[in-house]
Amino acid sequence: MGRMLAALLAGIFGVCLAVAPVAAQQPVIAAEAWSAYKAKFLDPSGRIIDDGNGGISHSEGQGYGLLLAVLAGSQPDFDFIWSFTQTELLLRDDGLAAWKWSEAAKPHITDINNATDGDILIAYALGLAGRQWNRPDYTQAGSRIARAILDRTLLHQGDRSALLPAATGFSARDRKDGPVVNPSYWIFEAFPVLDQLAPSPEWAKLRNDGIALITDFHFGPKQLPADWVSLMSPPKPAEGFPAEYGYNALRIPLYLVRAGFTDRQLLDRFRRQTFSANGTFTTIDLESGNIRSNHSDPGYRIINHILACVVDKTRLPADLKQFTPTLYYPSTLHLLGLSFIAASQPECL
Amino acid sequence: MKSTFIALSAAIIAVGVVSVKKPDYVKHIISVFSPAGEEERTPFVTRVAEQKVEAPAEKKPAPVFQEVKRPVQPPVDTVVTAAMDKKVDESALRYFASRGDTARLQAEISRLKALYPDWTPPKDPLAIPQNEDKQLETMWDLYAQGRYTDVRKAIAERQAAEPAWKAPADLIDRLAVAEARTRLINASDLKQYETVVRIGSETPSLLTCSEVDVLWRVAEAFFRTNKAQRANDAYTYILANCQNSAERLATVQKAAALLPAKDIEALLTREKVAPDGAREFDSIRDDLARRFVAEANADGKIVVSPEYVSRVERLAETGGLASDALLLGWYYLPRGDMEDAEKWFRRARDKEDSASASQGLSLVLIDRGVPQDAEDAMYRWRDTSEDAKAVYLAATANLLALDPPASIKSEVLKRIATETIKSRDAATAQQFGWYARALNQPQTAIKWFKTALGWKLDDEPSAYGLAVTYLQVEDAKGLAEIQRLWAGRSERIARAGEEEQTEEKTTELQVPATEEAAVVGGQARRPAARVVVVAGEPQETEIVVERVRPRGTANTGRGCKTTVDPQMLAPEAALTRGWCLMEMNRPMEAAAAFEVGLLGSSAKTREDAAYGQSLAYLRAGLASKAAVSAVKAPQNRKRAYELQSAILADKAVAAFDAGRAREAILVLDQLKQIGPERTDLLSLRGYAYLKLKRYADARQVFEALAAIGNRDGQRGLGILYRIFNDHE
Repeated sequence: MGRMLAALLAGIFGVCLAVAPVAAQQPVIAAEAWSAYKAKFLDPSGRIIDDGNGGISHSEGQGYGLLLAVLAGSQPDFDFIWSFTQTELLLRDDGLAAWKWSEAAKPHITDINNATDGDILIAYALGLAGRQWNRPDYTQAGSRIARAILDRTLLHQGDRSALLPAATGFSARDRKDGPVVNPSYWIFEAFPVLDQLAPSPEWAKLRNDGIALITDFHFGPKQLPADWVSLMSPPKPAEGFPAEYGYNALRIPLYLVRAGFTDRQLLDRFRRQTFSANGTFTTIDLESGNIRSNHSDPGYRIINHILACVVDKTRLPADLKQFTPTLYYPSTLHLLGLSFIAASQPECL
Repeated sequence: MKSTFIALSAAIIAVGVVSVKKPDYVKHIISVFSPAGEEERTPFVTRVAEQKVEAPAEKKPAPVFQEVKRPVQPPVDTVVTAAMDKKVDESALRYFASRGDTARLQAEISRLKALYPDWTPPKDPLAIPQNEDKQLETMWDLYAQGRYTDVRKAIAERQAAEPAWKAPADLIDRLAVAEARTRLINASDLKQYETVVRIGSETPSLLTCSEVDVLWRVAEAFFRTNKAQRANDAYTYILANCQNSAERLATVQKAAALLPAKDIEALLTREKVAPDGAREFDSIRDDLARRFVAEANADGKIVVSPEYVSRVERLAETGGLASDALLLGWYYLPRGDMEDAEKWFRRARDKEDSASASQGLSLVLIDRGVPQDAEDAMYRWRDTSEDAKAVYLAATANLLALDPPASIKSEVLKRIATETIKSRDAATAQQFGWYARALNQPQTAIKWFKTALGWKLDDEPSAYGLAVTYLQVEDAKGLAEIQRLWAGRSERIARAGEEEQTEEKTTELQVPATEEAAVVGGQARRPAARVVVVAGEPQETEIVVERVRPRGTANTGRGCKTTVDPQMLAPEAALTRGWCLMEMNRPMEAAAAFEVGLLGSSAKTREDAAYGQSLAYLRAGLASKAAVSAVKAPQNRKRAYELQSAILADKAVAAFDAGRAREAILVLDQLKQIGPERTDLLSLRGYAYLKLKRYADARQVFEALAAIGNRDGQRGLGILYRIFNDHE
């Protein structure tokens, strides 16, 4: 039953994805919002600072920074962030980005492993930027990363394709409960762009199988996916990580709707189970179904309202339409949410 | 991708030829930096050769600068046509001139010449009208200070303020090259050598004499990605083209850290000789010689040109550094030149006694058969390292093993005993046993043999010593006990005291007697000690076990030291020779001797020969041959079991070592069917299960081992614990 539903959803979803992905011809992030974001999180060296995480930088942050710069229509900023990303992170022999950069350390890269979502975001933003600003060098760099993602992080499990969270450390060889995946690394909106950068049937398969996986991951009384999932049969929350629906998984519904996914049943489940009555985001202990913590940052709350908008066409509350930077991670999600509403659901504004 | 690269390569060649007319190094660039294979490279080289005809090197106009550095543009035809209608942007020239930055000024002139072949540099760059654009001036300023991200930021800000404004392509290109440089250095620091090679080949304008550090890094990256020849080409390129003398010297030093001696020697031929005859690399020749000799310390098979050895000898003689003498000692030792080794180790000790010099000297002395001197030399250094301790204990074991027994002062005997007990050294303890026997102190001998066995449970020679000493003191109970413990594991222990052996062996007295042949009445001769020879410098960990040459006139001409074709011997004599060779630890020769023994007329000889040959092959690590030999003659049950289990154990270990854990388990299962599983093999089984991720099975095995206090058991459980509790 679950699998049939998944196939059906994937079919519908596939049609949605065939339409052009969210690509900003016109800026969909307001200039003031982007300026405020830059002022808070963009270092003069071109790196995005994760201020909630000791001020380090990482490939995910650079990827988000590049994507937001495209959505804000700012090529100079894109160029600037890309310069740092390329010279400081894009160093691995296999063409993927080293994930972790620390100001205090020398060399600055403190872990040469990659983070696949960071690579996807960077390649995706490069693909969009290359097209939007007619820059073959961006496109070429994006193609190289997209090919490396296929070569190094693709996992074939049974008849399904999945994404390893990194080139090392998560496979069945590396862990006894491996392979382990992070369902929030499926950035669905990126796959059609990556398919243009490095054409392969795997992207469509990743997309469809990703939907199927997310549909299959319903753990505990609240039937939610975990941040980190072991793909052993049957799938279960991975060992060594909190068995929870947390900050990672929070992005799953955001990525789904950004990619045009509209299935009411699944989106409703995320909304009901992970946001409290007053709209705060709650992380969930999967085993008990209990709430672990509450988060009222606008960057988290907006996801609740985006889901409401997609499902019920409810308008965004006024305080969320305004962007005031708080911390890197929720603020990034806030801008991704606002840009989605502006581009695809303007009636909810 | 490939076509892009070809275009790029063509550009390098074209620009190089047109602007500098110096095809020599262009050829180098191609051979060094082309990621393409030989067959793809040839056309470029051919092209260069063709161009060369038009501009012969001798007639070329003196280039403005020795090297061209920044050929980054498209192929020549495009450049030439495009260049005509483009106004040359000279603002950077003026800027660098105004700052008095001549290096950058010159680099910019040659870059512009490469781009615009018909362009003539202005006589006075300062006369170029000043850049009216102050903001652009600031950007150049930031660029000159190497603040590249600030340039990016300035560009970004200006573009935001003036959407119509575009940064000069020149500045953008230079930024891209500067960023490629940073990226290349970052990748090199992180040992991402393929990335380094890729950036290098994508950014040929970086690969110039003005960026020698980048060239060095690319050369190392080539070396680390198994392209030693390309690395060599890169160093050669620098020496052929770059003029900075400090950098040239450093180039040879860097190359010497990576490349083999013969490549370094080839690089040295590129040395410049001043009119007064001074050679530019002379200052590092001594160090190179030291390095080559030091490199050869580790491996006796490395051949060093005599020029370098004698250079170090000259240094050692004139400079008088103990370290040079030491290098030579360790150079000669693994080459078997004991006389020279001794000379230099003594020289080094005279200058400055050290653990290393004493170790080297002791090894020479042990080899020369004077272990008492070795013991004496090594005693004060015995605790400086594990290797030092090993050498000291080799000296003590060999000293006690001297035949006839050496007279050793009681204080020396006492300190040897103290060290033996402190180090729990079974080899010396065993030799103490034999020494005590030789001095007719059987009770002391029994104590030492027991001590040795306590430290090394499988020390068969000590058990044998114990057996023959029990026999001597007529301790039947003791003998029976040791025979019971070693049943199936040692033929000679089982046979200790069997009177009927006497006759058979004594009939063969014309053949040199061996230990095996003299198992009568406790008159066993003791085996020579085993010497631990430390190969190479003492800090090298590789340890080779060798047998010391038996010493003493009594042994001269006896035994099996002389080379004899076993085919010439009678089967029985060959059999005896086989055992003797085994005693000498020369198993392959022993196997050949036993082969002749297999032709013997008596069943007993054939059985012994097959048994001996099987043991010989086992010792040589040839388990499958051992298996074949074992069935060449029927064996008694004990021996059959001994051989079969040894062969299977060998196979199991070999399979495991070769990474075939599954096969190892199969063999261990076979082994289990013929007898109880030994603890060492049980732990092998545990590790094999671990490898196969059969954690439950592994746990069961390791728990059983740990329960009897076995360390492998505890280790295995530790590994399992980490597997199950360490998720990072």
